[in-house]
Formats: sequence, C-alpha cells, structure tokens
Amino acid sequence: MKSIHKITVTVASILVVLITIVACTSTKEVYTPVLEKEVADSDQEFKIEKSGAQLWGEVCNRCHIAPSPSDYNDTDWETISLHMRVRANLTEKESKKIEEFLKSAN
Amino acid sequence: MKKLILSLFVFVFGYQLYGQTYNTFEPSKTQFMLRGYGHTGFEYMDSNDEAESTFLGLTYAPIFLYKHSDRLMFEAELEFKLEGNELEIGLEYADVMYVLNKNITVRAGKFLLPFGTFMERLHPAWINRLPNAPLGYGHDGIAPSSGIGVELRGAFDLGGPRLNYSIYSTNGPRLNDGSEEPEEAGILQFENFEDNNLAKAYGGRIGILPFSDSSAELGFSAYSTSGTGEEDSQYEDVGAFLFALDFSYVKPISPLKGIVDIKAQYNNSNVDTATFIEVHEDGDAEEYSFDNQSNSFYAQLSYRPTMVESDFMKKLEFVGRYSDFNAPEGAEWEEASVQYAFGLNYWLSWRSVIKLSYQTTETEGGHGADGITNTDGLFIHWAIGF
Repeated sequence: MKSIHKITVTVASILVVLITIVACTSTKEVYTPVLEKEVADSDQEFKIEKSGAQLWGEVCNRCHIAPSPSDYNDTDWETISLHMRVRANLTEKESKKIEEFLKSAN
Repeated sequence: MKKLILSLFVFVFGYQLYGQTYNTFEPSKTQFMLRGYGHTGFEYMDSNDEAESTFLGLTYAPIFLYKHSDRLMFEAELEFKLEGNELEIGLEYADVMYVLNKNITVRAGKFLLPFGTFMERLHPAWINRLPNAPLGYGHDGIAPSSGIGVELRGAFDLGGPRLNYSIYSTNGPRLNDGSEEPEEAGILQFENFEDNNLAKAYGGRIGILPFSDSSAELGFSAYSTSGTGEEDSQYEDVGAFLFALDFSYVKPISPLKGIVDIKAQYNNSNVDTATFIEVHEDGDAEEYSFDNQSNSFYAQLSYRPTMVESDFMKKLEFVGRYSDFNAPEGAEWEEASVQYAFGLNYWLSWRSVIKLSYQTTETEGGHGADGITNTDGLFIHWAIGF
C-alpha cells in the first residue's frame, strides 16, 4: 500500500503543477468575465457556440430537472450560478451563459 | 409664510422625485440565500417475516449560501432528522470557496468529496430518484462522503468535449481498531473531524464529457492515505487506497418520447491487513486478521416520458436500480448483499417529487449475523428542494 500511496501523491502533485500551468497560461486575465455582448449576440453564438437556453437544458439535467427561471430573481440566480459552477464543476462559460439565460427568462 | 411652506414642499417633493428618478437601487454584491431540501413519507419493511412500518418525521436539510463577491462564497448544509426517538443534527459540509481564475477554484473546510458522483451530486432527496442510497453508501459504507481539508477544482472546455477535475487533501479516515466496537474492527470511519495521526489523505477525480451535448460523463476517482490508525498505536501505519469509476448518460431520445437517465458507480476499498483481537464470551482473547478489501456497485436507469401528449404522463418517471456490496471475508462485518429497487415517481414540479418504491435486498452475513436475510421494503416519500 505504501508504494500505491507514493504513486498517488506523486500523480496528484504532478497534476496540481500541470493544471496550475495550463490554467494560468490559458488565461490572459486573472479572471475573465464573459462579455455581455458575447452572451447577448445570439445570432453569432448559434453559429459558433450553444446558447444559454441550450446549455440550461443539457447541463442542469445531468443531475436534476432543469429549474424554472421564474422561481428566483436575478440576484438569486447569480448566487445559485456561482454555487452550481463549483458544485457541479461547470466551466465558466457554461455557468455564465446559463445564468444570463435564467435572468433573461425569469 | 406661504412662500416658506411652498419652498419646503418643493424641496422635499423635488428631492424625493430626484431620488426615485435617478437612484438605480443596484443590488448589493453580497448576498445571503437559504436553500435546501427535505423529505418525509412512510416505510414498510419485512425482514425474514418480521414486519415493521413507520411514518417518517421530516428530514430537513437547509443550505446556507453567502456570496461575498463574484469569486468568494461560503456554503454550509445542516441536516435535522429524527433517528429513533432523538433529534439528530449533522453538519454535511461547511466550506469557503474562492474562484482563482476561470479554470481553478479553491475550497477549504469540510466539503463533499468527489469520490464518484453519488455523494457529491446525486444524494439529496429531491435529486436521488429513489428514496434511499444504493448499497455501500452511508453509515458503514465504503465510499467517503465528506472530508476536512483543502481542494482545487475546475473545468476545461476542450472545444466540444469537456474535462473537469478535483484534487484534494484531507484529514483522512480513521481505522476502527475494534477496542470499543469489536464487531466493526477494520472499518474505515470517514467522519474524522480531528485527525488521529500525522498522515493525510490525498485524492481526486477526473471526469470527461466526450460529447458536446454533455450527455455522457466518465469519471475516475482515487483516495489514498499512508496511515489510518491512532498515532503511536500498532495501527498507525495501516494505509488505505480506494478508487471509484462512475458513468452518467442523460439524453432526450425522440423515438422513446422521453429522457433516459443512466447512472452507475463502482467503488473499491483496499486497506492494509492488520491484526485485531476478538474476545470470546468465556473471556479468552484471540488474534485474527483478514484481507481487508471491499467493493460496491450500483447501476440505475430512469425514464421520463416528457415528449408524450398527456400532461399526467409527462410528470411520471420510471426507475430501476441494481446495487451490491461485498465486505471482507473473515471480518466480523463480513457481508455480501444484493439489492433490486424499482420506483414510480410523480413530479409535482422540477424540484418536488412523490416517490413510490419497492426494494428487495438479500444479505448474507453482516455485523456478526449468520445466514441469509431477505428484506423487502415499500417506500412512499415526498421530497422537495427549495
């Protein structure tokens, strides 16, 4: 078991270093907010990426039934969005787009 | 005098009008939210011709969220439930999370462990499609549910596929050495709030979503520690290595006119062999040891006919689950169990569900018991998230 533990700790350490390097080098800013224009420009988004409504249907349903936008106000959705981003390990773009959709549809 | 009153009126009224016109009433960046879930219901159990039935007191689990800023949040979940004739209060988790950048979030405190997905994401009553957890989870289970420590987690968009990760270090489990509960000697106890030794546990999970519609997710989790016993005891260097494989597939399928949801997880626990003491009724003590390996598995299939025309049928959900649990041969808690569960759910809303379930469990051994025990159960639960 000692050798397995050493391997686990070594792999975990390497992963921490790799993730830190990749995460920091792929991010020009320390924290990259998704631009409102980027989210709202739905015509362009549909050509390239999924809309917040699509992601809401796909991502939330992975664990539970997708929530009704009208059940919370904008401020609540901001809090829930941050909580779910961490809890469900969502990407920043997924959580921001879903949040913008919920706020626009409530 | 009239001029004075008129001036005052204009000033006061004008000030109010100005304030109402130009005050944007922007919400505070900090926000406190109370969320959570609860469930209640009725259960009937028949075990080897001994029947019992009971209504359940409400299990209430409030979740306290405090968003300090767009990056910093505190979260805590309590659980209140009636166990026997006593009120049990538990702290499921209480941690602080900080978003370092778009790919890394750090969490510290007591947090749910990403060992597979069931305990971290699927166990709340309004999310779990059946009234209880599969075999191998919960009290005396082999899958750790929470730990006290620090964690890095995040996700990467790979241009279609997505990858999420979590790496953590916690106080780790405590080995039950049998001194107080001889029938549980060798079991790992994960509720180790105050560390009993210097060894920490290290673990993590990597999940990959290969399809751009997020319909499937495959995950691998590992959890390792070099010591689980009390410091300066003969069990101090008893190490443990656990791993889990999990799978999820959720997709609307038009020919089936509904959403198919498949979940599965395999857990394996391997603890170093140690020598324990068994005290017989005549007072004689005997040393014994066993190969301390356990495993459990569950696979669940559910189907919601969301695309049919009938509003009533749209709210129904059909669930089936298989689970098994194998505890080490030679241990006082040696056990081999198999469970089949079937359920019919009616969704009142996206977060409120009435569950009707039948479960049958065959248990061989288990905590000093001999022979085979068959247990049939009927459950009616109402779960609600808020």
